[in-house]
Amino acid sequence: MTKTCTLGETMIAALARTIEDGTLVFHGFGSPLVQLAMHVAKRTHAPRMVLVAGATYGVDPDPSFLTPTTNDWAMDRGAACSLGIEELFDLAAAGRMGRMFLSGLQIDRWGNCNVTALGFPNVAMKLPGGGGGGNLSCDAGAITLWTAAHRATTDERGRRRFRLVEKCDFITNLGHRAEDGRVRHELGHRGRGPQWLVTELGLFDFDAEGHMRLKAVYPDTSVEEIVANTGFAPKLASTIGTIPPPDRSIVEMIRKLDSLGVHNKELRAEDRRRVFPLVA
Amino acid sequence: MTPPPRPLHTDPDKRKSLDELAALVGDGTVVAVGGGLSSRAPMALLRAILRRGAKGLTVVGSAHGIDIDLLSAGGALSRSSESYVGFEQDFGIAPNYRRALESGTVEINDSCCYTLVQQLRAAIQGLPFMPLRSVRGTSFPPLHPEYRRMVCPFTGEELLLVPALEPDVALMHAQYGDIKGNLVIQGPPVADLLFAKASKTVLATIEEIVPTEKLRELGGVGIPYFYVTAVSETKMGAHPTACYPFYAYDRPHTALYYEAARNGADIFAAEYLDVFVYGVADHDAYLARIGGEASRARLATWRDGREAWKRLYTDKGAL
Repeated sequence: MTKTCTLGETMIAALARTIEDGTLVFHGFGSPLVQLAMHVAKRTHAPRMVLVAGATYGVDPDPSFLTPTTNDWAMDRGAACSLGIEELFDLAAAGRMGRMFLSGLQIDRWGNCNVTALGFPNVAMKLPGGGGGGNLSCDAGAITLWTAAHRATTDERGRRRFRLVEKCDFITNLGHRAEDGRVRHELGHRGRGPQWLVTELGLFDFDAEGHMRLKAVYPDTSVEEIVANTGFAPKLASTIGTIPPPDRSIVEMIRKLDSLGVHNKELRAEDRRRVFPLVA
Repeated sequence: MTPPPRPLHTDPDKRKSLDELAALVGDGTVVAVGGGLSSRAPMALLRAILRRGAKGLTVVGSAHGIDIDLLSAGGALSRSSESYVGFEQDFGIAPNYRRALESGTVEINDSCCYTLVQQLRAAIQGLPFMPLRSVRGTSFPPLHPEYRRMVCPFTGEELLLVPALEPDVALMHAQYGDIKGNLVIQGPPVADLLFAKASKTVLATIEEIVPTEKLRELGGVGIPYFYVTAVSETKMGAHPTACYPFYAYDRPHTALYYEAARNGADIFAAEYLDVFVYGVADHDAYLARIGGEASRARLATWRDGREAWKRLYTDKGAL
């Protein structure tokens, strides 16, 4: 019987906890941690969640394994039907999408994300682009952000490169403060914006002003480590908790569903080795 | 000023060769590529377009990968208005696309899926624009001076207006179709239905052309013939992307592609373009080069059950 869980499995469970039962939830491409979190939520605390798979737009699919690309027939097996692209985005525009998961290669204190380009308009690195994130970050009821690359790296010239940055070079996905300085409620968007951020170092929420706030750490990370790896000063919750490990049944569910280990591709090599004891 | 009426294509037999289709994609045109990510991209047609030497294309779309990356490598693009171009968690950032856009030879004009949808819908409905509530507050409006803002005369809320988008050409690959141009798309259509209805010219490769009366039992026509300009029966026309139920995504071939692309433009040209695009006279020669019947049979094994399907993502065995 397994006695430990991995960081990836712990992140998946933390992402799953952000999902409410009875809501419509959607994920984008290239996000196996989130795909697994949605399937875990649907099979545990949120059986009445409407699960719409990214790329296939399949409704409540029941895949037998996760593929490394999202628009694959393997991913919509068991779905009652598939939505058209316009129908999916109409659902969000009309307020039927409860939650969307978004990420970025830059994420700022207001939860804005950049998936378009590092350096703009003088582009240092073209990123893949945000898909429908520019729309859904405004329209979906709530947003869970995530990244498995919070820890800052050092480039060849010795400069630290932060994932959580002071300012995004380009705002692909809207957080709580707009490109022109307006706060979210002034823009009259339907969605309430980022509510959670799950990283490989910790768990954040956003305060009443929309500022990112550290809420919990992992058993092997600390507030100091997180602050040192963040490009701005995050606010700190009055009590900092510890992110709990998933139940054993959830760990087994994840291992069965992701038998190819696709979600490990989201994690850096050193983070794949992080394990935590399961509660007996 | 009322825009001119949308075209209607009524030729009773629209069959042409792949090269004749490629010749209809003019230099400097706005092109919408069908399919999405690792599925049903019109790859054979894109290779034919590169062999023709197309230049100056603007591409518009939602979720793309190897299709737009290959057009980037072949020097066919001058502007990208795509929403996403990448290889997801499977391989990562699209190397040729990235090089082309970072070098400035291709203008960065990124868009978002629903913005694109609304622009296509305006064209389909013969309207000059459509409104959106989203995107305001992001960096997209400054990138797109053609967008406008208005105060809604009914509710008083601020809306973003995006102009109708009528691509010059839509390129797509369908599982089934007939000689008149009716198309059956099985599985996720992505934006293909919108592209077909919004574009001036629609060019489709078809895995299997069948009699019209058989289309209904295959799931019904998704795209009626009068939207479609020309068709070409092209077996394995989406390879190396998937065209289920015929064949799955060729991951080993994509790995080979990615490895060459990652190693720079010159290596990609020598090891991929000169072998699989310019080094083959036509699609039949391409099919022979990727391993012919053995490759086709391997990619059809997804039908043999879960374990066989899984092996397609873990096996080596690319050509």
